[in-house]
Amino acid sequence: MAKPTIDIAAGEIQRENRIKTSVGEKCFTVFNYTFFTLLCLIMLYPFWHVLMQSLSSTEQALRGGIFLYPKDFSIGTYQSVFKNPQIYNGFATTIFVTAIGSTLGTLLTAMTAYPLSKSRLRGSKIIMFLVLFTMIFSAGMIPNYLLIRSLGLYDSRWALILPGMVSAYNCILMKNFFLSIPEALEESARIDGANDMRIFFSIILPLSKATIATIMLFNAVMYWNDYFSAVLYIRDVDKWPLQTVLRQMLTNTQQAMQQAGVNVRQQSDANAVTIKAASIVVATVPILIVYPFVQKHFVKGVMIGGVKG
Amino acid sequence: MATASATPKAPKQYGYWGKLLADILRDRWLYLLMLPGIALIFIFRYIPMYDLRIAFMEYNAFAPAESEWVGFGQFIDLFTKPKFGQVLGNTLYIAILKMVIGFPIPIILALMMNEMRNLKFKKVAQTLLYLPYFISWVIMAGLIMNFLDPTNGIITSLLKGITGQDMQVLTDKGAFVPMLVISDIYKGMGWGTIIYFAALSGVDPQLYEAASIDGAKRFKQLLHVTIPAIMPTVIIMLILNCNNILNAGFDQIFMLYSAPVYEVADIIDTYVYRLGIQKTSYSFSTAAGMFKSVIALILIVSVNFVAKKSGNEGVW
Repeated sequence: MAKPTIDIAAGEIQRENRIKTSVGEKCFTVFNYTFFTLLCLIMLYPFWHVLMQSLSSTEQALRGGIFLYPKDFSIGTYQSVFKNPQIYNGFATTIFVTAIGSTLGTLLTAMTAYPLSKSRLRGSKIIMFLVLFTMIFSAGMIPNYLLIRSLGLYDSRWALILPGMVSAYNCILMKNFFLSIPEALEESARIDGANDMRIFFSIILPLSKATIATIMLFNAVMYWNDYFSAVLYIRDVDKWPLQTVLRQMLTNTQQAMQQAGVNVRQQSDANAVTIKAASIVVATVPILIVYPFVQKHFVKGVMIGGVKG
Repeated sequence: MATASATPKAPKQYGYWGKLLADILRDRWLYLLMLPGIALIFIFRYIPMYDLRIAFMEYNAFAPAESEWVGFGQFIDLFTKPKFGQVLGNTLYIAILKMVIGFPIPIILALMMNEMRNLKFKKVAQTLLYLPYFISWVIMAGLIMNFLDPTNGIITSLLKGITGQDMQVLTDKGAFVPMLVISDIYKGMGWGTIIYFAALSGVDPQLYEAASIDGAKRFKQLLHVTIPAIMPTVIIMLILNCNNILNAGFDQIFMLYSAPVYEVADIIDTYVYRLGIQKTSYSFSTAAGMFKSVIALILIVSVNFVAKKSGNEGVW
């Protein structure tokens, strides 16, 4: 874009350059903003489309051609979706798993990471290596599955919570954060007679609220979105989390409609479209509601400090 | 309790073991703190690693103690199966395609975003861009199925308008993999952008000032200030990506694939799932999974090594 300036008649060329680049820059700016506006619309539109579909009548949805607004507005679909007890059970399991998993998991992660940030701790290097190693090597699906069975956790909601509670990645993030807390704070508490446990709970934890909130959110998203653990570990449909229930509805239309109390023979495939759309909306709305409030923490999470161990 | 830490070093006469014991006693609360977390990691990460031994057995699920050792028998079985070659090929093909096409996009987006001056717009754009990252693959797959519905999907009718023929992407062997790549990029690009954007916002503004005093225009500044500034992040992301070379995206494919596209979409993980969980041939599928984990481990260790040797920062 910018030509190299030559000493002879430098002023002339530079002026020319400035005009040229400023025209170029203007074009680029316009293009840039248009491009990102379009991109944002592309990000939002699928959700909007599904919402409009779910609010339309079954016949219209089946015919297609719903783009920006519902046709034959009806909330009948939602009435049948909410008649499905699996949706409630799914919400209950998901909320239970997310709440316990993210709070307890974050606390345990912080408790594990804090000692690891102390270089004086005997064995901390070896333990750190063992933690890091789980990040780059995992046994895989079948050994995990067999472990859950042999621990007697099969068909228990705890099988959805426990395995992912303390992750190496979060541990390293927290450890890096703890390293940035000045040692002097702890020293003064120590002189006042506090032991390491007290120092951690009454000085370090309150100082780390922002980081803890961020990791808790990451954990919460992980638990909320997890569908496969339940596919592996839970046979009892009533204990399935929402995502697994939704998966069943999306991939198995007939069953979904039966659960929603629709007479399959009579309606054939007709209801499938709107019921699926409404289920997607029901599962997405909670995320969309909290998202604007928590999203800035995610960005902060990225800033906390890479993956360096 | 309190005085223990006031004497950081035990008197010399206790020797090495005495000092070790004293140190451990001094830090007993720290060990206690990390006990539950370490226990969880040990139980849920390391015990399964010990159970990898069933890859060298003919595992008997009803009487595990009576399982017979077969050495590398399962692996030989695995490598001689033509199906496994296909699965491995699919895995590599999908993963590499996602990486090659998907890797530069967030970098370009972050650089473009960095040129925008309107802070409000930038924030809103960021927020919307990485929204799909936080949506589960179940919901994403629901959206994809909706848009690709054979009768009334928007993209189906769009494709019909362009190509003039009925394309059923989800069951079409030629279109399925491109669909995977595009939807994967759609879901992940916003998040990737944030990562690079975070690196960009850490650049010292004085560098730009200095560059502009030296006569560098915006493009030159991009070349000589911005791009060098995000190189470390790019390298780290590249290393982490290499770890994923055998992760073609299980959650995504598992939601979307079906029998008609197994030939192109079956990856190691889905193969392991179908054989191991559905057909309960535990040993064979453990061997397949272990093959994957070991290759991934070798890859990340060597890539990290190369990165460090060539003067870049590694992941560890």
